[in-house]
Amino acid sequence: MNSTWFVYLGFAAALLIVGLYALLTMKNVIKLFIGIEVIGKAVSLVLLSTGFAKNNILLAQSLVITFIVIEVSLVATALALIINITRRTKSLDVRKLTKLRG
Amino acid sequence: MTGQILLLSGLVFFSILAILAKDLIRSAVSLAVASLFLGIIFFRMSAPYAGVFEISVVAGLITVLFILTIALTKAGGDVRESKLATLIFPLVFIVFVVIDVLVMKSLLHKIPALPDTAESGSFGDVLWKQRTSDLVGQLAVILAGVFSVLALFRKRDKDE
Repeated sequence: MNSTWFVYLGFAAALLIVGLYALLTMKNVIKLFIGIEVIGKAVSLVLLSTGFAKNNILLAQSLVITFIVIEVSLVATALALIINITRRTKSLDVRKLTKLRG
Repeated sequence: MTGQILLLSGLVFFSILAILAKDLIRSAVSLAVASLFLGIIFFRMSAPYAGVFEISVVAGLITVLFILTIALTKAGGDVRESKLATLIFPLVFIVFVVIDVLVMKSLLHKIPALPDTAESGSFGDVLWKQRTSDLVGQLAVILAGVFSVLALFRKRDKDE
């Protein structure tokens, strides 16, 4: 069972690096947020695979469901923010956000 | 396990596609497909509730929200991503995968296994009886999300 767990951990680490790469190199705000989503997938994969490997799948499932609910709330808020930002700056470019005005 | 590895590879592949696709709609759809793969992985790990949530909420609702946002922000125009970032990505990814495999192989028998505790009861028992306080927190987060969206889309005053 231990080796199975490491396979899941390896794939989750790969997902994490994909998300981090997007966060570090992309300029489009929506792409940055997609990067955060990919990191979220890695987290839920680690949570559930650990529960699976340790025979604790019920608790892991309820944690993943909590995570998904919170993720939806986060996505709704962040996308509303992105729409407002785009209305103000007329662009999706994250570099245009450097000029903050009070 | 082979099927599971294929599904995991599909998940990573579609996540990479979501990051690298030039068209934002394609990115959003690739993300949905990645969620679908993750949901199937959850089902195969005998976690049906998590799988249902992943497929219905993440692959369904979040994709709809993403596509709606992309449609509403079309006036923002295209943002040019640097070509260098796209070109370097395969190299970075392959180097990372090699390091990843080596590290996981070396850790395989060194980390002591967590205690293996068998669970009893049903999923409902665990969710409603063991994790009651968390559910209150969840409700608070959902309400916070609703109020923040309402606050962000409120009608502006004319002088603003």
